[in-house]
Amino acid sequence: MKLRVATDVGGTFTDLVYINEGEIQAVKSDTVYPNFDQGVINAAAKAKLKLADVSFFAHGTTVVINALTERKGVKTALITTSGFRDVLEIARGNTPDIFNNYYRKPEPFVPRYLRRELSERVDYQGQVLQPPRLEQLDDIIEDFQQEGVEAIALCFLHAYLNPQHEQLAANYLRDKWPTVKVICSHEICSEWREYERSSTTVLSAYVLPPAQNYLDTLKTQLSAKGLASDPFIMQSNGGIATLQAAKNNPISLVESGPVGGMLGAVAYGQLINEANIMALDIGGTTAKCSLVHNGQTRITTEYIIEKTASTAGYPIKTPVIDIVEIGNGGGSIAHLDAAGSLRVGPESAGSTPGPVAYGRGGKQATTTDANLFTGKINPENFAGGEIKPDMQGVEAAFQALAEPLGVKAIDVAHGVIRIANANMVNALKLISVNRGYDPRDFALMAFGGGGAMHACALARELNARKLIIPPMAGVFSAFGMLMIDLRRDYIRTQRLDLKIDALDDIQQAFAQQIKKAESDYQSDGFSTDKLLHELFIDARYQGQEHTVKVKVDSLNLEPKESIASISAQFHKAHEQEYSFQLPDSDIEIVNFHLVSYAILDKANLKGQNKVAADASAALIEDRAVDYDDLGIHQASVYQREKLCHGMNFEGPAIIEESTTTTVVEPGARVEVDGFGGLHIYLEDRA
Amino acid sequence: MNQAMDIFTIEVIKNALVAIGEEMFLALKRSSKSPIIYESLDYGIGITDAQGRLIAQGNGIPGFIGTLDGGVQTLLAKFSTDEIYPGDVFILNDPYAGGGTHLSDVCMIRPVFYKQQLLAWTANKAHWTEIGGKDPGSYSADANEVYQEGLQFPGIKVFDRGVANQALLDLIEANVRLPDMTLGDLHACAASLQVGEQRFLSVVEKYGQDITLQAIDSLLDHGDRMVCERFKALPKGSWCAEDVIDEDGVGNGPFKVKVKVTISDNEFILDYSGTDAQAPGPINCSMGVLISAAREVFMGVVQPDAPATEGCFRRLKVICPEGTLLTAKRPAPVSSYFEAMVCAADVARRALASVLPGVVTAGQFGSVCTINLSGRLPSSDESYLLVEPLVGGWGAGVDKHGESGQFCVGNGETSNIPVEILEARYGIRVERYSFDTDSAAGAGEYRGGLGVVHEYRVLAAPADISSFFGRAETAPWGIDGGRDGSCNRIEVYDSSGKLKGCFARTSRFELSEGDLIRLITGTGGGWGDPKNRCRDSLLGDIKNGYISQEHAEQAYNHTIAER
Repeated sequence: MKLRVATDVGGTFTDLVYINEGEIQAVKSDTVYPNFDQGVINAAAKAKLKLADVSFFAHGTTVVINALTERKGVKTALITTSGFRDVLEIARGNTPDIFNNYYRKPEPFVPRYLRRELSERVDYQGQVLQPPRLEQLDDIIEDFQQEGVEAIALCFLHAYLNPQHEQLAANYLRDKWPTVKVICSHEICSEWREYERSSTTVLSAYVLPPAQNYLDTLKTQLSAKGLASDPFIMQSNGGIATLQAAKNNPISLVESGPVGGMLGAVAYGQLINEANIMALDIGGTTAKCSLVHNGQTRITTEYIIEKTASTAGYPIKTPVIDIVEIGNGGGSIAHLDAAGSLRVGPESAGSTPGPVAYGRGGKQATTTDANLFTGKINPENFAGGEIKPDMQGVEAAFQALAEPLGVKAIDVAHGVIRIANANMVNALKLISVNRGYDPRDFALMAFGGGGAMHACALARELNARKLIIPPMAGVFSAFGMLMIDLRRDYIRTQRLDLKIDALDDIQQAFAQQIKKAESDYQSDGFSTDKLLHELFIDARYQGQEHTVKVKVDSLNLEPKESIASISAQFHKAHEQEYSFQLPDSDIEIVNFHLVSYAILDKANLKGQNKVAADASAALIEDRAVDYDDLGIHQASVYQREKLCHGMNFEGPAIIEESTTTTVVEPGARVEVDGFGGLHIYLEDRA
Repeated sequence: MNQAMDIFTIEVIKNALVAIGEEMFLALKRSSKSPIIYESLDYGIGITDAQGRLIAQGNGIPGFIGTLDGGVQTLLAKFSTDEIYPGDVFILNDPYAGGGTHLSDVCMIRPVFYKQQLLAWTANKAHWTEIGGKDPGSYSADANEVYQEGLQFPGIKVFDRGVANQALLDLIEANVRLPDMTLGDLHACAASLQVGEQRFLSVVEKYGQDITLQAIDSLLDHGDRMVCERFKALPKGSWCAEDVIDEDGVGNGPFKVKVKVTISDNEFILDYSGTDAQAPGPINCSMGVLISAAREVFMGVVQPDAPATEGCFRRLKVICPEGTLLTAKRPAPVSSYFEAMVCAADVARRALASVLPGVVTAGQFGSVCTINLSGRLPSSDESYLLVEPLVGGWGAGVDKHGESGQFCVGNGETSNIPVEILEARYGIRVERYSFDTDSAAGAGEYRGGLGVVHEYRVLAAPADISSFFGRAETAPWGIDGGRDGSCNRIEVYDSSGKLKGCFARTSRFELSEGDLIRLITGTGGGWGDPKNRCRDSLLGDIKNGYISQEHAEQAYNHTIAER
């Protein structure tokens, strides 16, 4: 028996999903602090898995982001080009809270006394102006040793073009001080902009020891339990990496939590042949969404942690799936502002005290309370039937808001849902309409505890083609990990005019990246025939700053045709994103971006056989449900677990399962697919 | 729809209207060709109702907060409604009319019609790198009338019913130094206005005209109510302050700027009477800019927790007679108007510092500290023009040190140009970009923020620099016993290291190959008596090299710590 297993460590639960002979199974186990690996072992034991039988083991962890946000990394130092030690602290000098005279800049992760300079210089074309005076490092090493530094980041100007000096300095440091961790900017990021690269390198160094320790412990523990091969580790770019690759560049794991759900959406889309998806994950405190177009997620390196409307945060230039996140989830608190207007979120009741219905002392109404109060959530089935909701408390909470507004409590509950929905629609527009995509060409795929509850109204508002509520929504991230390949992104800034005589240079730039990818994967144990490369350029009109990503698939034509084809694609992509073309402007390539996959053998999931359309076997009861602006309707209530492939029925309906409730509006039609997913077609759009 | 539903529908529409400002902002940022727009974010964009009341605005800098609605009102005064058509786009940069600042900041405005009725306006204002005039980069340190400062657009149509006014475009092309960039910005600005129009119309189509208009009223009234709530917590009374602008670029000065701030139960009045008459050099600003400065101070002090709309500013009154430095009349030169604007805002905050600790800080380096460096690239004969504002030190607060290496208070999201991009695009090599630890930050219980030294090596001649550094003689003030900060200055050295020049404001200073330009920005003022400075924090400053041992001894009476 050869099992495939994926585990995802979340804040509360550690999820484990495995495929056994085409059948998929899942268990949840408590997350164990601070020994997360123990939670993984417990989950495997709970599933009665023999790790010796496992041929593929994937693992998602929040250890990197936790180390950053909880400031649990190590004492880190930075060495820069002479004259530039303060770049990290000056940052970009901007004040996001524009009217605030009392703004506080984010504190740098490396204090000034641990930021040192080395005499060396490379110019903007990568030419050496001054070789590094490595002997200067001796004093620096001595000082850092005295200060108890554990990790050193190196970031020199223009190292993205010529990494030689960083390499020389790193070798020197490692040679003289073998126990310290050293990481260079070019090893993580080959794009220009020295502040962003310094910040990325510093944060990488800061988490390097704890992340490496964690990964080593995980490997040892799993191997002691019989796992023969190393686990694969989930990255922020939507792929997995070998354990060794993750250890070398742990910052690439930083967003593996939030992107997990988006990957689940991609993977489920592949199963059911759905390539264009607006993925929406509604949790307790936030809603996150991301766009999947032609089966591809959007990757960005403009990722910033702890950035808010009032503070600049810390940039990390590592490839991350582009996600828009807003402070609207099930626990978001409804309140009246000083002028008496109703607002929802971003403050959240979290899990303690939680919504009023939990009866744990929460007094302020939340979105979840509104869903209960309008009858969408069955009080008998609240939180999987484990909590008897405090309905009196819920009513009192809405009544408290209703009085100053001069309306009824139920009206406020409607208002809360409508405002929460409007906030989520605005977020979904940011990933679609604002980037030139028409929501009518996309399916909305909703998951997370609150996704299925709100999605029908959102799909209606956006005119989405259809709505999909996938199965396994509670372990969706782990599910996605089972279905994906190894992925590496190589992004390198190299400016080049897109002209016929540039084709050689373009081919050479990609050839270099492919060579690097082949060598990296070779050290992972993957031969070149297992690799798949996708080529992209980030380009712009001459003189512009922001770039558009364009896929390059025609490098082998005649030079004239190749360049013409790339140019045409660029113009098209520019129009899509920015609503206009400048056909007479020259085009400039800024970055070369190679995405290399190492393709894994994946188990096929067995779908269910189709049954008759009649869904009455899954029917539990009829119940009056308040559909907000659509009025009160008698809804048929179905049990999700009993719905089978091929069944279909019409709304008004409610579909209950232990982790969530799906709301089906009047006139919508539901079909069940072969894997348990619900496809909901809105009125007039079937 | 019943009435209970309406109040929430209005909430939903309000949110959608506010989101429009943000969307327009991103659309313009991403498609601009000028670094001053996409890096410095030197622009504002938004939407007003048919009468020019501000509904929503996306801002890179607070300085444009009074200009979009002002621009629309200028057009409404000039054109009758039967002269305005769907598809029109107006262009405006008249500094003395509402919506104007200096000629480089161009306002573009588009009426939004629904079923043949004018319902709203979308507008933006952005700093264009080139608009003609006597100096490269258009704004000048030594102009003595506005006619030297570039092309003037007195609120005219650049698109008439959707058709470009080719004669005007040709005229612009012939009169600016970088026509490709200028016209590129014009098209990007026009396109971003359409984004706002589409979003606004989709709201109207969905909810209907009546309820949308009702939501706009409600949004504006909400701003006023939030402001009134915050008024309850503000101190009431009148406070005065004075400051000076040292020099006007053509050898005159100092010029006095005076303010009396009055906060009552329902009004916030900034009275600038007593300010000196307009200057012969280009450091003047006009009434519209003064209103922006007042709104910036007001939003920072009142903090209404509501988006900036017309409603937020109903309680704000600005008084100043015509013809002063802050209310200049044609043809006073205004291209360095930001000096007067920053001074007007800072002096108002100075008046309030003692009664609003924790909200307002001590004096900051207090100038946008801009340079215009022009020359040609060493690798080709291509010319370049670098327009760059610089970071410096902010004032300390009652419970924190001043921020170090930050753009001037009031410069918002302006971001520095990365060294790696500077070197790739302009004919200079950057040899240093770090804190200036030689000039002492204003000492205090909390010290001022640090300024920054920028060292640029000129790689090819001919090249020249114009500079717009204010606060070169009068240092940023300390508060409550805190000491003053330091001044801004520029030094130029030849390749042998010999000092060639030292100045703050200059025009077209000639540079040779190998010259080193040192741009040094000031430190902020301190807050509280230095003798109350926490010892550990002082030791930390010494260890980090933010201040020297000698300065610690002299300013804080700190004897050398025994280790």
